[in-house]
Amino acid sequence: MSTRLDAFRRMTLLRIAEEETANLYLRDKIMSFVHFYVGQEAVAVGVSDSLMSNDRAMGNHRSHGHYLAKGGDLRRMLCELLGKAEGSSHGKGGSMHMIDRSAGFTGSTPILGSIVAIAAGSAFEQKHNATGDVTVAYVGDGGSEEGGVYETMNLAALFKLPLLIVVENNLYSVNSKLLDRRSKEYSVEGVVRNLGLAYAKADGNNYDDVRSKATALLEGVRAGKPAVLECLAYRHMAHSAPIFDDAQGYREEDVLERRLAEDCLKKMKARLLEEGSSEEVFSDIENEIRTHVLEEIAYAVAAPYPSPETLYTDVYA
Amino acid sequence: MHNEPRILKYTEALREATEQAMAEDPSVFVIGLGVSYKNGADGTTAGLKELYPERVLDVPVSEDAFTGMAVGAAIHGMRPIVHHGRVEFALFAADHICTQAAKWNYMFGGNNPVPVVFRINVGRQWGNGPQHTQSLFGLFGSVLGLKVVIPSSPYMAKGLLRAAIKDNNPVVLLESRWVFPVKQEVPEEAYELPLDKAHVVQSGNDLTVVAYGDGVIAAREAIELIGDQVDVELIDLVSINPIDEETIHASLKKTGRLLTVDTTSASFSIGSEVAARALRMSDVTFRTTPGMLSCPDVPCPTSTALSEAYYPTKVDIANAILAQCGKDQITKELTFEELHLPPTHTIV
Repeated sequence: MSTRLDAFRRMTLLRIAEEETANLYLRDKIMSFVHFYVGQEAVAVGVSDSLMSNDRAMGNHRSHGHYLAKGGDLRRMLCELLGKAEGSSHGKGGSMHMIDRSAGFTGSTPILGSIVAIAAGSAFEQKHNATGDVTVAYVGDGGSEEGGVYETMNLAALFKLPLLIVVENNLYSVNSKLLDRRSKEYSVEGVVRNLGLAYAKADGNNYDDVRSKATALLEGVRAGKPAVLECLAYRHMAHSAPIFDDAQGYREEDVLERRLAEDCLKKMKARLLEEGSSEEVFSDIENEIRTHVLEEIAYAVAAPYPSPETLYTDVYA
Repeated sequence: MHNEPRILKYTEALREATEQAMAEDPSVFVIGLGVSYKNGADGTTAGLKELYPERVLDVPVSEDAFTGMAVGAAIHGMRPIVHHGRVEFALFAADHICTQAAKWNYMFGGNNPVPVVFRINVGRQWGNGPQHTQSLFGLFGSVLGLKVVIPSSPYMAKGLLRAAIKDNNPVVLLESRWVFPVKQEVPEEAYELPLDKAHVVQSGNDLTVVAYGDGVIAAREAIELIGDQVDVELIDLVSINPIDEETIHASLKKTGRLLTVDTTSASFSIGSEVAARALRMSDVTFRTTPGMLSCPDVPCPTSTALSEAYYPTKVDIANAILAQCGKDQITKELTFEELHLPPTHTIV
């Protein structure tokens, strides 16, 4: 059973890995889309901490956090972001195609809702072979509006698949607000429950809430009652760049002051202080992790690029 | 000893390959609309639900989700056979076929096989009209990461489906409905046919005809009509991804004449692709400009009065062959049955 301080350590890894990735991006070392997860760390870590080691997770365009929280290798991720040969996809995928099968993170796709059906296939395999394991599909509130997600919820309920769909509701599909995309009467809970799945809503800025709700749902999921966990979280940065985009004026609820006040790491620290932890403990952890991340980034920056011939390999297995 | 030839219909051959694969490998399953029916998927899955109740899955009309689920199961070690009774419905699942399954191994840098089979029914069927008869061969042929085969006979259907199931990549079988009632001797034992090789149906020296799917049936009939006038080499392309250039090349070096036969519209067709590749073969000397026979660039209409003029007939193909070789054209009235009903003969 991992402690809350362990969880803080993992959330800090996700945060610092992305902060330093943002620095790299701004120095033009990363020539591809990068969708930052900063602010939403409590979701990936809270969900991962409620899983067993053989369970699987699959993600989307914004999956650095999902990957790292599941135990994905940091060095191979950084190499992949930089397009290096040692990257988890040898430079062919990049930021939007995270995978580390050895950690049970079995892939992500930036075609958003698609991953939910693919994860249902993983759950189908788990059920077929009676492994007792489950699969988590991470999808955003925008991606969850794709038709295949509704279709998959029906199939998952019909076939009693051990599938947990985590909908990370960060209020925006790119910069489009919920009320620009859904009527006021739209109810995620209503949709989900009426399709025959279990549902819970968690405060995605709060690790403990995510973890306890996920743990409760997973008991049912493991017994064949698929579920949706909707996590309300704040995306601190722009849709796909490491910048604070408040000047664009689309944010209403989650203005900068609110995001900082509700920051999952800040809340976690407050809770740990109540338990007797100290600022020194936090800064030691942060320094240790930042040093580690910077070492790995230095390694990745120096690592060789793939050879041009590999352009032609791997079209087929 | 007296052995009756073992004659199967195209659909029965597909069913036999499926049953044999399911018996051997518990990771093989079938998913699609109505595949659990007594005569499921035009008979290609008949009776399988009784044999393997857990591995024959009827599904709601949710092509996106059930195709994606099959792809996800393949990513995690199973060997699904996805059935789409009409290509128009498979397009709902275009993301999972073209963008997920076809790119998965490449985008993760290898070692991520997706052993899924997409059985997709295409093409001609009487009275089905613009939205039920598309073939879209060119579309599937253009998707990198897919292997795409078009079985033209029962023997081929059985061997190619088995090879597709055993392959570690996404394989699309484009099955021409027009060929479903055609019969042929098919061995009972399981066998595989290569997914990347064209088949020389008959060899000849005057002209290379490249056809595939139901076009092969029509081309064979055309060659019969012509008799000995032209020594035709008929190549059944079998695979459109990859296209077996080696076999086409060897043939063209011999004949110097090319006729392609498509049973769909001309633009972006397989015939165009074959001709383009042939013209880049620098050591082939063409004796005539390559010919191309296809449907016109309009959707397939429903009325028999219109569809009669849509598909190239055996007479059209025969005359195109004769024209390539500078011979006189023939005339022959075709019956309503010949024009509008699928062939039911036994291929020998």
